[in-house]
Amino acid sequence: MALTTGIINDKERAQFLVPRRAFTDRSIFEKEYEAIFNKCWLYLGHASELAEPGTFLTRTVARRPILFTRDKEGEYHALLNACPHRGALVCRERHGKGRAFMCMYHGWTFGSDGHLMTLPGSSGYPKGFKTDPQKQMVHVPRMERFGDFFFINFSKDGEDLATYLADAGDTLKLLGEHSPGGMQIVGGTQEYSIRGNWKLLAENSFDGYHAACNHSTYLEYLGNTKGALGVDPLKGEAVDLKNGHAMVEYTAPWGRPIANWVPIWGEEGKKEIDAVYAELQSRVGPERAERIAKKSRNMVIFPNLVINDIMAITVRTFFPTAPDYMEINAWALAPKEETEWRRKFRLYNFTEFLGPGGFATPDDVEAIEKCQQGYAVGGDAQYNDISKGMARDGAPSFDDEAQMRAYWVEWDRRLSEYEA
Amino acid sequence: MSTATMERTLEDSLLLRLRVEELLFTEADLLDSWKLESWLALFTEDAHYYVPPSDVDGDTATPDTSLFYIMDDPVRMRERVVRLSKIGAHSEHPRSKVRHLVTNVRVERDGDIIRSRSSFIVSRAKDITHDLFVGHYLHEIVDQGGELKIRKKTCVLDMEALRPHARISIIL
Ligand code: FES
Ligand SMILES: [Fe+2]
Repeated sequence: MALTTGIINDKERAQFLVPRRAFTDRSIFEKEYEAIFNKCWLYLGHASELAEPGTFLTRTVARRPILFTRDKEGEYHALLNACPHRGALVCRERHGKGRAFMCMYHGWTFGSDGHLMTLPGSSGYPKGFKTDPQKQMVHVPRMERFGDFFFINFSKDGEDLATYLADAGDTLKLLGEHSPGGMQIVGGTQEYSIRGNWKLLAENSFDGYHAACNHSTYLEYLGNTKGALGVDPLKGEAVDLKNGHAMVEYTAPWGRPIANWVPIWGEEGKKEIDAVYAELQSRVGPERAERIAKKSRNMVIFPNLVINDIMAITVRTFFPTAPDYMEINAWALAPKEETEWRRKFRLYNFTEFLGPGGFATPDDVEAIEKCQQGYAVGGDAQYNDISKGMARDGAPSFDDEAQMRAYWVEWDRRLSEYEA
Repeated sequence: MSTATMERTLEDSLLLRLRVEELLFTEADLLDSWKLESWLALFTEDAHYYVPPSDVDGDTATPDTSLFYIMDDPVRMRERVVRLSKIGAHSEHPRSKVRHLVTNVRVERDGDIIRSRSSFIVSRAKDITHDLFVGHYLHEIVDQGGELKIRKKTCVLDMEALRPHARISIIL
């Protein structure tokens, strides 16, 4: 069957083909903003980033500048960061403490909930002007919280967040269960870009097939480092989490601070990891504890949130500003009560693989950028092949491409629905 | 202080700065010519190499409590060099053209440690991309029997984000 977007999903012939114009076409890019970024739930931030009442941060979500605040009562607000007067960015700081936001242009000043507190030269305005709803900062149409994860939606209607997340919700819950005292975003953000289409990063983030080739030097590094490898083989499956969300879940040889010990951590480390595991077992039961501790997970929540719970946990979100360019923000998520030793190892683990300076991500970036460059050939070379594992009996393997097909089917559904 | 002593102090500090500059320029040269094994030899056995992200105070942040871009200990510094020597380090194959500009070198003694602060622009060019990394270096240097060795190198990026660079696949 050929879908509206030109995706070919032919189960009989075990063929799933994505037309390359999905990565290059300007009109598809514009449609994606209408049909996807303006309709889907998008990750905004984590509760721990506004740990205290009266704090705020600014962040660009799908090209829109957002002011995320917590008022003095502790309520969270997501505001479009533009002044109702003449449109200037109201808050120009990245984060901080403060309950009043003064626009630097004419001095209109707003509260944490966006209401206009101070109007300089108010005698020039009619009565009731200051309380006119149109003169207040605009709230993002919808903001909802799932556990400690905050999402926003630029559309007034549509399904609620929990329904939208479908089975991905359980994996988010599972992340919360890493800790008895809650999780937090560790300070320090990796902020970078890739000169490639944004969907290539979604694909890459849970592509189990590319590791052996693309990350050969990382795997060799693990092999070189005495004691860095545990006993578990790379093995697992892809799971469709519905609504376009999917993950791969697998065992892996690397150490996990929750709670997969590797020899390099030593006997002292083993004691600590054992204690973490025991606490986990008593809190969530043996089965779930084993899953949390021993399995790695790479999850993509449609359209642009990646949570990779691997040798450390990364929360990564991204959006395109052009068909061939995206901006990415990535954070590390960790148990609040983690000891210094474990936190250190977590961050050491994180930076060994992940991010612009890691031993793996730069090669992912290279792959994504080279794909984008390759699409310029045009002509008859029109399709990407995403069919690995389609003919397999039984559960799809983690290094098949079922998870990507789930993503593309949702992408197609959203664009087709928008066109209809 | 007599004029003579002042002159000697001035001479000492100039000499020290020249020695440190020589070290930093050698380092830059080795990195520009991809002589990474020799680059590694400029460091002590217990050396560290750090690149903090842009949203923390890079002069004071520590990688044990903040997420960095790079927090190499001696093992990982060596492995970084090993990795970059391989064809499988795709991000640097073919190798990019690299140029390190190091200027405004300030040096001070802090007990046995020599602290140097300098400015850098590192240019990386590869196929269709050309990116500049701008920032300042903090080098901790020790004198090992007359030879200066680097014990810690922190590259603080004076940038708002790593955009459009995407990667620090070269050594800054
Ligand atoms: S634009 Fe904000 S006060 Fe005028
Ligand atoms: Fe990868």
